[in-house]
Amino acid sequence: MTVASETPSNLINSVPPRPRRRRSSVGVGSADLLMPPWLSRIVLLLLVVAVIVPVGYMLLLSLTPNQNVVFGSISLAALEVRNYIDIWSQAPIAAGLIHTLIIAGSAATASVIVGLLAAYPLTRFTFAGRRPYLYTLIAVQTVPGTTLILPLFAVLSWIQTTLGVNFIGTYYPIIITYMTFGVPLSTWLLVAYMRTVPRDLDEAALVDGCSRLGALRRVIFPIALPAIVVAFVFAFLVGWNDVLFASVFTNSNNQTLAIALQRFASDTSTAALPLYGELMAAAVVSSVPVVALYLVFQRYLVHGLSAGSLTGM
Amino acid sequence: MSTQLEVSAGPRGTAGAIAPGGGDEQPSRTIRAVNWITRHWGDRPLWMLIPAGVAIFVIVIVPVCLTIYLSLLNVNVSTLREWLGAPFYGIQNYVNAFTAPSTLGVSLGRSILISFMFSILTTVIITPIGMLAAFSVHRRFKGSGLARAIYLIPYVIPTFVTALMARIVFMNGTGLFDKALKFFHITNGQTYWLIGSNSYWAMQITEIWATWPFIYLMVLAGLQAIPKEHYEAAALDGATIRQRLRHIVIPELSGVLKLGMLLSTLFHFGNFTLAFVMFSSPPPAAVEVLPITAYYNAFDFFDFGVASAIAVVTMVILIIPGYIYLRSTRLAAQAG
Repeated sequence: MTVASETPSNLINSVPPRPRRRRSSVGVGSADLLMPPWLSRIVLLLLVVAVIVPVGYMLLLSLTPNQNVVFGSISLAALEVRNYIDIWSQAPIAAGLIHTLIIAGSAATASVIVGLLAAYPLTRFTFAGRRPYLYTLIAVQTVPGTTLILPLFAVLSWIQTTLGVNFIGTYYPIIITYMTFGVPLSTWLLVAYMRTVPRDLDEAALVDGCSRLGALRRVIFPIALPAIVVAFVFAFLVGWNDVLFASVFTNSNNQTLAIALQRFASDTSTAALPLYGELMAAAVVSSVPVVALYLVFQRYLVHGLSAGSLTGM
Repeated sequence: MSTQLEVSAGPRGTAGAIAPGGGDEQPSRTIRAVNWITRHWGDRPLWMLIPAGVAIFVIVIVPVCLTIYLSLLNVNVSTLREWLGAPFYGIQNYVNAFTAPSTLGVSLGRSILISFMFSILTTVIITPIGMLAAFSVHRRFKGSGLARAIYLIPYVIPTFVTALMARIVFMNGTGLFDKALKFFHITNGQTYWLIGSNSYWAMQITEIWATWPFIYLMVLAGLQAIPKEHYEAAALDGATIRQRLRHIVIPELSGVLKLGMLLSTLFHFGNFTLAFVMFSSPPPAAVEVLPITAYYNAFDFFDFGVASAIAVVTMVILIIPGYIYLRSTRLAAQAG
């Protein structure tokens, strides 16, 4: 257990100072070899093929006319980009994209602000209730999503009945529910980062006549900016990827990209000519930004994993 | 690093405290409250914790309590809008959930089994794959950066996209999977993967494909934390690869592996998106994992009582691994 308990903090501490690169392992020679090179190459080859084949298939289908996909006559000879043009008119993904950007963007912004506020005192002071506070932040991430969605829906329908205010189809409930994941996630990321920022810095700012908030704004904020960006990205991706909450709290007025695609898929699968080529094109369009973001922020990924992205999604 | 963290902020709090009222007179309640706050908070802006605290309270803790309350009420399509006045039902919802197969054809017991099997099988299979993957790229070589990026792809593609992709890959006859099986003469290429009992395996394969990089990432991070000196010392002693693995790598990785397996089990237990998007709606009985069962009971049949009971059972099941996770992080203790 002792080893186990050391681990997450290792991961957490590894956020801002980049994980030590092994490039300088010249002196080590082959001392850190963990598999015979031939085995290593086989594993590499198998895994790369296993990843590339389905993804390549999706890309291929996205460039294949719909009727060819349905009849299974897929060839490299009949590729066309028409699907990528048609999806914008035939599948509701343009609207879905805008709704997703608004919803996920607002939720991520709110989460990062709230998380930054909480992370500052959590890393600067010791006070009663600090540990329970931190533990609660972890614990809430293990709460299954269905446990949250049922009462929230019940409360919203009660509000609609008694007060006549309809929140379903507006942005508020969905933004607030995404904060369920965004707040603990960004608080943790920022706590982990700000622990490594020396306190002398804000002490110096205080001595120079800054208020606490001034120190936060002028000193801590610029230093913590990389972690703030990372927290924003991860909180944003929660909203981008979610289906459970969006399927309940949105309707045709504000459905997110994920829901638009899910509806498109179930509608088109019963059509006379299912638009599977377009479906795959839309799927590619909705993953490209995410994959790009993750690859850019690759080295923070481990931390994002251990800090959150847990709650029944 | 800990030296920076251990700096105590202790005495500061008392500096600005209003002195307690002199003599015998009792300070008023307000003054006592202000006193308490200044004594404990000093000039420390602890109010900054309030927004996150309120957010967590309102959108997590209150709903959890409400779910437990709802699970004891007879809330159905006719009482949903005035559910506060719904008749008290006791444990009847739980009894119904366990005994009567839901309208989807799966009882709660069966749904629990499916969820358990799904999450444990996934974890058991992705752990060795993820370890091998990490071993294969942990040394830098020409192209290792590219390989690492490719390894990440299945994990970072949104789950709903993976599900849509699987929907097409597993199509009967024309899908890639059936075609491959036919090509290798394993089947005649006419298997229905998206309906009936095969659907479980289609979902299982997809989940394994999509999530092994999670273990890979954890193990890779663990490998990078092993000091180079350990390898050097082992090399001086003439250790073979096998000895190196057994005496250095596996012991050093055991923590990260335990954490990864725990998180993976927790995470796969609650997977909703894959089953929801990959299959027609409602999904086949074989893939009725707990979140799906709760969801369809609530939003297709509007039996919120039974759905809440299922959600509560899910939460209770997750308490044990959740508690272990909480203990194992010990991060709060470290930070203080």
